[in-house]
Amino acid sequence: MKISAGTPDAMPPGLRRLFYGIFCWANRHPGALRVFGAVLRRWPFVGGWLGMAARANAVKAVLTRPNSFSNRAHAPNLSAGDYLIGMDPGPTYNTDRRLLDDRLAVLKATLPAAADTAVQIQVQALKPYGNKPFDLIDDYLMWIVFHAMYPLFGAATDRVAAGATGNLNDLGLQRQYLLEIRYVAGQLLSGSSATLRIQRRAELCADALRARIADVNGDIQGAWGVNGPVNVISRNAVGLAWISHPVTVQSGALAVQELLGRPKVHRVLRAEARRLGTDAVWQDTAFRDLVRNHVLELMRFRPIFPLLARDVPRDTEFETGARHNATCPAGGKMAIWSIAAMFDSDVKKDVSQFCPARKWGNDEDLRWLMFGYGTRQCPAMVYAVDILTSALIGLLTRPGELQLARGEGQAIAYDGALMSRMRVRFT
Amino acid sequence: MLEIVRQQMICILVPGWDGTTDLSESGSVCNALDALFEEVEVVQFASIALLPARVDAKDSRPSLMLELAIEEGITPYDMLYRLVYHASGAMWSLYSSFWPGDATALQSERNNKLLEKLMAGVSIADGGFIGARDRTARQIKKEQELLQWTRDQARAMKATKQYGDDRAAFALALAQRAFDEPRFDWALDPAPRSYWRGKGAGILAKVGYVLAIFVLYLAAVWLVGAVPRGVLGIYTWLFGAPYSGVQAVVDAVCKASGWVLGVSIRGALALVGLGYLAWLFLVALPAVSKSWRRWLKSVGRELDRPTETWSSWSTYWVGWIVGVPSVVAVVAFALVFIFCPGTIVGAYHALTAKFLGWQIIAFIILAIVALICVVGVLSRIDQQLAAGNWFFHPYEDDVPRAQQVYTSIDYCEGLVVHETAHMISLTDVRRPNGWNAWWIRTSLRIVTLFGRVFFTEGRLGSAPGIHFGHWHIIEEGRRYLFCSNYDGSFGGYLDDFINGATIGTTLAWRWTTLKPRESAAIGQPAVEAPRSFPPTRFIVFRGVRCELKFKSYARDSMLPHMFRFDARKETVDQINLATGLRDALFGERNDSNDDLIMRAIES
Repeated sequence: MKISAGTPDAMPPGLRRLFYGIFCWANRHPGALRVFGAVLRRWPFVGGWLGMAARANAVKAVLTRPNSFSNRAHAPNLSAGDYLIGMDPGPTYNTDRRLLDDRLAVLKATLPAAADTAVQIQVQALKPYGNKPFDLIDDYLMWIVFHAMYPLFGAATDRVAAGATGNLNDLGLQRQYLLEIRYVAGQLLSGSSATLRIQRRAELCADALRARIADVNGDIQGAWGVNGPVNVISRNAVGLAWISHPVTVQSGALAVQELLGRPKVHRVLRAEARRLGTDAVWQDTAFRDLVRNHVLELMRFRPIFPLLARDVPRDTEFETGARHNATCPAGGKMAIWSIAAMFDSDVKKDVSQFCPARKWGNDEDLRWLMFGYGTRQCPAMVYAVDILTSALIGLLTRPGELQLARGEGQAIAYDGALMSRMRVRFT
Repeated sequence: MLEIVRQQMICILVPGWDGTTDLSESGSVCNALDALFEEVEVVQFASIALLPARVDAKDSRPSLMLELAIEEGITPYDMLYRLVYHASGAMWSLYSSFWPGDATALQSERNNKLLEKLMAGVSIADGGFIGARDRTARQIKKEQELLQWTRDQARAMKATKQYGDDRAAFALALAQRAFDEPRFDWALDPAPRSYWRGKGAGILAKVGYVLAIFVLYLAAVWLVGAVPRGVLGIYTWLFGAPYSGVQAVVDAVCKASGWVLGVSIRGALALVGLGYLAWLFLVALPAVSKSWRRWLKSVGRELDRPTETWSSWSTYWVGWIVGVPSVVAVVAFALVFIFCPGTIVGAYHALTAKFLGWQIIAFIILAIVALICVVGVLSRIDQQLAAGNWFFHPYEDDVPRAQQVYTSIDYCEGLVVHETAHMISLTDVRRPNGWNAWWIRTSLRIVTLFGRVFFTEGRLGSAPGIHFGHWHIIEEGRRYLFCSNYDGSFGGYLDDFINGATIGTTLAWRWTTLKPRESAAIGQPAVEAPRSFPPTRFIVFRGVRCELKFKSYARDSMLPHMFRFDARKETVDQINLATGLRDALFGERNDSNDDLIMRAIES
């Protein structure tokens, strides 16, 4: 948990904004990160000096040593309180993990059917727009993911979204909740480089989220059917709320952004969807697999977390791939260039090519590296990909080609490292 | 850099208040607001007041003002979003009378409407000062607990008489007890400090920061010229000369870049020169010459003199006749040096062509001797004309006025007599509004900058006890609002300003006047007759030194609050003491920390 909320900025005025600007720019331009990552892969001793792992083997090795390279690096950015992603292995972690696995097991039963239904409803809702622009995030992905993940909070979902006293049918209150969790998740993405304004906004939203969950703790406990201590329920409910939805929505927006930058790939997918027809696209498993492969490949090219950080609690070494191991002094940090590892040509020759149909063979795990690796890999990755697959199928079923709505200001607006708006239209 | 300070102090002004909402102290609205601010935890002070409309305003109803002093880094939008969308609906209960009969609307819709209305009325401070900064309300509360716990422990330890006079052992034992107390784990981290109170507190860091910015700026300007020149050179080498138009554009860019570079460097040199002159005359010479020091002090005293005497009158006019032309001449010389250095070089050549070197030196020596003689004569006059001389007697008596404090203001001050005091002052900007508002804004930015960078330990100048003091230019530059949360009483507070931050206070108020106005509601003060801020000399002198006039002016401009929230509940000194104790208890053991611990437990 963030130890002291509201910490003032100890950096000289302007410097943090400069660093944050560079960080955000790099996040928006994964190509630049890939180039730098290639340099680190080619000369791994440079990564050793800088405490950066870039080669696939090095990244996987680091991610399988959670005791030496601790997830506590995330803890200062968890403005809503401690959660699995920022914990070290231990009793609390194990309890919370069991609780989470139970919740995710519910999704296993409902997905992808629930996501398909949510997408079809949302596609209908987009019809009035015709070929007018709409916001892919606010008008489409946000609601699809919300409805697809409904079983996570079960019967308490509407109460969580509307608040203890709010009207359950008030869509504005639901939207407020979704914005609230977006900014809390944004802090995990921005990290400690974020400007004071971004950090404080996340803290305010985190306070609001905690208060909201505290007010409906009884409903959640009932829906989950768990008799744990209140603080355990609260911690997990808060964590689950802010990490599940916003990260999936952002990943979806990034995947669509990447797809729109590849018109040929987009056209081929649309042609296939048109060939199958509006109803059959939802039934055809081959088509679903095709779209799923595309989603994974798009996410590989534009991952939501291109870099990951780890704390080094005690002196250790890591294998960079160079002749000598690199030393990591205790108290330091480690940067994991998963974006570089996913493009390691020593593993697959053509890995720099966009090829959804690639046979990964024994290196399948590299394809999922944007979700982490080893025991700390994202436990919900399969469900997230399922939801995004449905969302993409939904976009492919619409007549007309999806394009960025240029000409009325910037089509894509960023809020720091987050994508806050993506105006698109069917032409 | 200043916006982060200004955003901490906001006033939300919503005109057209019809007074149908019950704002009594024990009413549901005030209770709901109290609970809201308590829960949100980032509002340190809040108040509500009614601002009476201007006499010439179209809507004669008052404006409802909500003052918020919040923690660092939060934008007004984020703050209001949090407050308006809070599940309690407290903000809606305060403002619902602006939408009569709208109670059935969806919560999200009415919140959107309210947020929009409030954002339209947001005024972030044009200038402000924060005393005990870098502390959250939560931190202040926890540190006060630590202070109280430490005092209790110290008392218990003293009773055992185990440590005698050994301060170090006593402090060590106390620190060990604090370490063993799990509820003070948070104190293991040193109290957070922002840059200007932390790494940037030293003068070298401040100078280094300015130099670094200036060098980066110069590098950027140089690159604007150098990059096109370099690219063109490479192109010419590879492919031959480009079109003449391209060459002309590159030449123009290079020339402009060179000119800006030259002006910037000369501007910086001129600033250094002016700074050196100021240091020489105001710091160095007074330090080495008694008569100069006495003369300078006497000039300051005469210019600051609240009453009109022949001495102050003559000093003022001599200032106009000698001082102002001299300053203008120096500034003009600096400007010529910056923009047309060739003129100075030409004049120097012309001078050396006409006079020989020894003649120039002799002239300079004569000028210095003349200056010394003038200063000597003035100093002698100052010594000869001792106090009691007619020259120093007022020829125009100050007219004190029996001050009548309005009952509601007295009542409000009585309510917070054991808490942080509070003041709201509303004045009018003198005509021409635009010109004076610009000056106020500039003055306030300077005050804010100095407060942010130099006065980082709770004192503005030497005025203590200010928690949040902020100024707003409102109603399109027509009016001037000042809100302050401070320790002590109103009289003492203004005394601190008058004696501790004279120039800043005069600068902040001198552009204002007080026009007649109706009271905002029954029981609220009105302004019956127009008032003026006490006259100033050379913008920054006198003004607030006319103590009675200033206090009476300030009193007449005041408005009572209708709601008050105070999350700090401690004085600035007490807050600083608790933070210091935290760092001393959990920091390394040395004499300085031991001293601080002993001071904290005994004060």
